Amino acid sequence: MAALQQLERDGVPKSAITVMSSEPLHLECEGPKTRIPLFGIIGGLLGAAFAILLTVWTSKRVGLVTGGMPIVSPWAFGIIVFELAALGAILMTLGRMVVEARLARRGRGSDYGKMVAEGKIVIEIDPGATKG
Amino acid sequence: MKDLQPNSNSETITADLLRPLSKPGLGWYTTVTISGLLVLLAAVALGYQFTKGLGVWGINRPVFWALDITNFVFWIGISHAGTLISAILRVTGAEWRRPVTRCAEAITVFALMIGALFPIIHLGRPQFFYWLVPYPNERGLWPNFRSPLAWDFFAINTYLLGSIIYLYLPLIPDLALLRDKSSGLFRRVYGALCLGWRGTQLQWDRLERAVRAMAVIIIPVAVSVHTIVSWDFAMTIRPMWHSTMFGPYFVAGAIFSGIAALILAMAVIRRVFHLENYLRPVHFNNLGLLLLTMSLIWFYFTFAEYLTSWYGNEPEEMAVFRSKVSGVYAPLFWGTVVCCFAIPAPLLAIKRFRTIKGTMVASVLVVIGMWFERFLIIVPTLTQPKFTFNWGSYTPTWVELSLTAGTFGYFVLLYSIFSRLFPIIAIWEYKEGLPLGEHGEQTVVGVPDAELESV
Repeated sequence: MAALQQLERDGVPKSAITVMSSEPLHLECEGPKTRIPLFGIIGGLLGAAFAILLTVWTSKRVGLVTGGMPIVSPWAFGIIVFELAALGAILMTLGRMVVEARLARRGRGSDYGKMVAEGKIVIEIDPGATKG
Repeated sequence: MKDLQPNSNSETITADLLRPLSKPGLGWYTTVTISGLLVLLAAVALGYQFTKGLGVWGINRPVFWALDITNFVFWIGISHAGTLISAILRVTGAEWRRPVTRCAEAITVFALMIGALFPIIHLGRPQFFYWLVPYPNERGLWPNFRSPLAWDFFAINTYLLGSIIYLYLPLIPDLALLRDKSSGLFRRVYGALCLGWRGTQLQWDRLERAVRAMAVIIIPVAVSVHTIVSWDFAMTIRPMWHSTMFGPYFVAGAIFSGIAALILAMAVIRRVFHLENYLRPVHFNNLGLLLLTMSLIWFYFTFAEYLTSWYGNEPEEMAVFRSKVSGVYAPLFWGTVVCCFAIPAPLLAIKRFRTIKGTMVASVLVVIGMWFERFLIIVPTLTQPKFTFNWGSYTPTWVELSLTAGTFGYFVLLYSIFSRLFPIIAIWEYKEGLPLGEHGEQTVVGVPDAELESV
């Protein structure tokens, strides 16, 4: 965008510039690489582990009389493992997204909320980062 | 009908899509009143059932499942519209989906909530449903994880939580918009719900990545849910239930009924909230084509299922087969074929008829047909089990019929309230899809606590 290019020509570092908008602009995003997919996978593995504990361990503890038939059924329990793995992935994806997007934090909100809501693109410059 | 062009001014779009929240119009109040009355009727019926017991239903040996499970399967099926349509269209990058996704996602959440009520209602003593929860107790009870009914619990709850999150994530930016345009209590509530969203590019990037990840995760969950519901029947050895095809058959039927429900919801919203510029004939045309595809798939599965039973000629299967095709349930069966295939397929196949009205007519028929299809899967098999001495019949009572009507009222009521509190079309997603040059935003440069400078 022309305004951003002008700021860069004026020597404002990219780290001092925050662009806010009411829709995604698909600009190059400064900051560390996202780990949302990795945490989604971790959540899935944790969910699966919990499901195995819940089904296998508790079923064995109950002490059902089955006349020698197996208490643990991999096919049947596998369905519950799949569902809870998906649930773990979903919850972890949400959690990681909230952390990486720096949402749900205490502190001062944006000064420019109303302008963003009106459809304007707001470029905020951090004066602390521009000094030196 | 003239295909109106989308309104290209950003502020006008925001104003149009937020107007239903402040000025819903007479149509909204009428809808809420009628649906509220249906919910009241269902509440009276439910209260009567709780005090008198399940004997007020028409179920009796051997028909232990009837309208309760019909409604359960039907509403879980309807829920497949939302998440599947929204997720699949997002994953495939179909740009026309933008005004449709939130309508669809909301349908999923509310339909699932209603469907999930029935396993509790049909317990007879629903106040003891917590006995089914696995925690250490002295009742000697523990869930049977080998049962499809236990799988249902995990599948439906996973899908419900996932769908709520999938509806919530893309709603965050619109909640921030509502926060900035509201005051008082609404501002505080929207502010809390949007988690302090500012609209920075980092936030947008992470939100879009999370939504894409969710879309990929939710598709297999949605497929698994109705497959597991189908296994409540297929894992038994009752005639015309014990079929390997039930999984895909149910999923196809769920998507089929879900798309029809979505078309109906969109048509009503378009009319009631005057969103003709946003929910355009092209959306109904595309969803109509999807509905046509599902109608053909549904017919294929139904034909294969019945042909297999007829060709096998097993006595127990043929008894149920005959009762559906030429016996006491024949009017319902052939009515289902007419409603789900004979009328909708040609109606949707001919482009001239694939208008908003045409797709609405087809959708109404499909919703009715699919409800009866669920009934026909469940009740005829139960009336004629393997041992003929045990054969019976079933007639619904006013309590069951009231509960059924109440579910439709409850769904419409929840949807109406949702559309009054939140924009039913995702504003940021719609604007994102506009061609370059039509966004019309102004750029403002600022430093906190300093003067603003327009660029």
